[in-house]
Amino acid sequence: MLLQLKNIFKWVNSGGQRIFLLKDINFEVSEGEFISIMGPSGSGKSTLLNVIGMLDGFDEGEYHFLDESVHSLKEKHRSNLYKEYIGFVFQSYHLLDDLTVKENLEMPLLYKKYSSSERKAKVADMLDRFNIVGKKDLFPAQLSGGQQQLVGIARALISNPKLILADEPTGNLNSKQGEEIMELFKKLNDEGVTIIQVTHSEKNAAYGSRVINLLDGRMI
Amino acid sequence: MLKNHIRLFLRNISRDKSTFFINLVGLSSSLTCVLLVFLWVKDEVVKDQFHANKEQLYQVFRHVPNGQGSLNTYQSNSSLMLTTLQQEVPEVEQAVAVFRINGNAMLQTEDKKLASTGFFASEDYFKLFSFPLLAGDMNTVLRDVNSVVISKEMAENLFESEGFPVGKSLIIKNGEDGLEDVFTINGIFEIPKNSSQDFDFVLSYKKFLQNRDINDIHWGSNSSSMYALLKTGVGIESFNSKIEDLIKKKDSENQASVFFGLYADNYLKNRFVNGKKSGGRITYVILLSIVALFILIIACINFMNLSTAKATKRIKEIGVKKVVGAEKSSLIFQFLTESVLLACFSMIVAYAMVALILPWFSNITGKQLEFPFSISLILVIAGIAVVTGLISGSYPAFYLTKFKAISVLKGKLPTSSGDHVIRKGLVIFQFSISILLIVAVSIIYMQLDFIQSKNLGYNKDNIITIERQDGLVNNMETFLEEARMIPGVVNASYMQGDMTNFSNSSSNHRWPGQSEESKKFTFRHAHVGPDFIETMGIEMKEGRSYINEVPNNNSKIILNETAVELMGLENPIGTVIDMRGPNREIIGVVKDFNIQSLYDEITPMALVCRSEWISTLLVKIKAGEEKKTIAALTQLFEKFNPGLPFDFDFLDAQYEQLYLSEQRVASLSKYLAGLAILISCLGLFGLVTFTAQLRKKEVSIRKVLGQTTSQAFMMLSSEFVKLVMAAMVITLPIAYLMANDWLSDFAYRIPLRIWYFLGAGCTALIIAMFTVAGQSLMAAKSSPANALRQE
Repeated sequence: MLLQLKNIFKWVNSGGQRIFLLKDINFEVSEGEFISIMGPSGSGKSTLLNVIGMLDGFDEGEYHFLDESVHSLKEKHRSNLYKEYIGFVFQSYHLLDDLTVKENLEMPLLYKKYSSSERKAKVADMLDRFNIVGKKDLFPAQLSGGQQQLVGIARALISNPKLILADEPTGNLNSKQGEEIMELFKKLNDEGVTIIQVTHSEKNAAYGSRVINLLDGRMI
Repeated sequence: MLKNHIRLFLRNISRDKSTFFINLVGLSSSLTCVLLVFLWVKDEVVKDQFHANKEQLYQVFRHVPNGQGSLNTYQSNSSLMLTTLQQEVPEVEQAVAVFRINGNAMLQTEDKKLASTGFFASEDYFKLFSFPLLAGDMNTVLRDVNSVVISKEMAENLFESEGFPVGKSLIIKNGEDGLEDVFTINGIFEIPKNSSQDFDFVLSYKKFLQNRDINDIHWGSNSSSMYALLKTGVGIESFNSKIEDLIKKKDSENQASVFFGLYADNYLKNRFVNGKKSGGRITYVILLSIVALFILIIACINFMNLSTAKATKRIKEIGVKKVVGAEKSSLIFQFLTESVLLACFSMIVAYAMVALILPWFSNITGKQLEFPFSISLILVIAGIAVVTGLISGSYPAFYLTKFKAISVLKGKLPTSSGDHVIRKGLVIFQFSISILLIVAVSIIYMQLDFIQSKNLGYNKDNIITIERQDGLVNNMETFLEEARMIPGVVNASYMQGDMTNFSNSSSNHRWPGQSEESKKFTFRHAHVGPDFIETMGIEMKEGRSYINEVPNNNSKIILNETAVELMGLENPIGTVIDMRGPNREIIGVVKDFNIQSLYDEITPMALVCRSEWISTLLVKIKAGEEKKTIAALTQLFEKFNPGLPFDFDFLDAQYEQLYLSEQRVASLSKYLAGLAILISCLGLFGLVTFTAQLRKKEVSIRKVLGQTTSQAFMMLSSEFVKLVMAAMVITLPIAYLMANDWLSDFAYRIPLRIWYFLGAGCTALIIAMFTVAGQSLMAAKSSPANALRQE
């Protein structure tokens, strides 16, 4: 088992009222799964993804990740955990405009203990694997949306995470580019990477092995 | 990692050139100012610090009650003090006496003649003071009565031959002291660059005593400066209280108390108020250092404000980096690296600027400043750059990295009102400093102007002063007589000392009906020529002047109003004063006139008509005929002094010299104030540009809903104008107190009026408004369709 959420609640207080963002979420994820989180706007999909990614906290409940109790971990410990095991892919790519493709890929490695030659080798490997060697010195603005998301995924994969969290990865892409990205996810999943994606599209959800449906912060 | 930071830093620069430019201009110009002030301060604080004995070397001062309720401090002492110190004060290891020759003396060899300055000093002079002797033994150079020690420069100018001219003879002449003798060169000295004293020769004090009338040597005749080396371990506080009554014990009628002050301190702490060392140059050293520091802070604030204001532009980078695993510390390190890099880059620009403008800066400060390339200086400069970078980078670094990754990735910067308060506070601070500097500069200028145009009680215009030297020593009267015949000459006379330095004083005078209190009075005392009062345009209050008087009639005296008032004389004319020596009858009273600087109040003053010890000739010429008259005077001078250049001064120019340090500080602070307001406005410009961009959408929506361009303009600019006005309200009371404090040093000062302060505030306000106007107008005028389409 990779992770387990038990009775997770998350809320904000607004005008003396408690508004629930997540309500009693329970589920487990095993290694090698490909899960899609679905639901209408405002149902708490992204919030759930962020909680899983440890970017956001929660107010009640237990979260276990690889036998560690995330809810009782210190901030520093928690960030070490997600740094090592989790990669993120965003709808709007979030590449750094001032860095080239190669530098964007290298950036996560800078914050981990890799030597310069190791970093070079990993970046070269990734460029090769995604077939973007020719683009390595271009800036994000010089790429198409699909190519940018490709770089985004490559960046998420570069430090060999166990889990990829993708927040509407194809939301900004046309259908052909979207399909290519989903094919890529499928391939990665086949290679053993666990994937959790947030999506609006039934078609994209079909790539996954399981769907979690949310409505007003509740699983249905 | 560092390489990556640098790369990102460079790309950021190329993306946002205007912010970079504002920061670079601000930081480099303020660093230039810091470096220049650093060089200036360094030059000031090392003055006189080269003396090996500086910890134990003291100057002897006298405090004398001035009869007006406070103490006056004098550097001069009786020559009797020397032996007293040497023989009767066990704490004194060595002591020397120095008598300064007023004005120039002539140094003459067989074929050369040079005007030069110097003094008489007793035997141990070169043992106490560490002026290096290039030739001669410091124990014996001044032992013989007719020995002279000259500077290396003098030696080179007088004797062109190789080697030091030790053993050669010199004729030295000086009008005032009737000195004319042959001296043997016993040694050559050199004056280090950081000496506050500059002199060309030193004669033996024995020679000075030999030339003096024995009747003139008593405890009331103060002509010499005294210096003493205290034994190690002597506590100065207790020593000073022990020695206080030294003079009173010797001379029961003398009111002076003795006080030892550290010689090395004299340069920086050169003002005495009521017997206590009170500021002087040190005030300006501290003041300018603070101002330079503030200007640097203003530039740092620009950097902070612009960095935090533009945070939204970098917030995505921070969020992404946090998500991929960057820790807060590594992000802080990145931002600090950027600011330190910017500061270092600015420092390089500043370094080049300093090298470029140092000659100009030396000129306005009247110093010979150097910018040596030394490891220690480079370390200091690098240190300043790094600290500047850390200070300006610290707030942005912590501010930008404190947000949670998830919230910044949503693209929204969680704004707390606290951040705005800080940013506004910083802008207010910048403008407060700027307004303060503007007030300071205008007050200093107005006070200097006031001093220069104040009615001094004499007319300083069109008066030429000529030093009595060489041929004029014996033929002064003839020269003046012939000068009076020149058509452009109105009148001519002579005096002891000069109009800006009337330093001789006498005390212990007795007169009928004298009160106990008034026995303490010290009179400023000068020998003057018969036409002195007329030449100087001094007004008579009663009695008669010295006109047509034959000099050296020792039975007459003229006093000033203050003297008569303090002496309590109802009918002064005809009163006889016992002046320890001759009895003198008061023949006239002059209206008060100012001598020395207007820091000091008018003191009791006595004018005696004598032709001895005269150092300055005064010639009043007709306005408009200066050129012709000076040509004629030059001819006349050359007749009396063949081969000597006609060296003269205008009295009004000499008078301006009195306020030289104020004038230098004024012109310096003028530039500093300009710089402060410029940098502040640069920062304001950056902020306005940015807010205008941020509020483009808001303005567009408002305009669609009917807001006019002028309303939009008011909305955008009023925010900043309010900040400057807040700065005004905060600063003006502080400025008032500071101005009042500075002016209280002057006995004659301008009154403070509210509009001086409002004027300074409005100046800052108007400059700020112009800065804000352009950008606000551009944003206000932009077509709403454009801005809304971008959404």
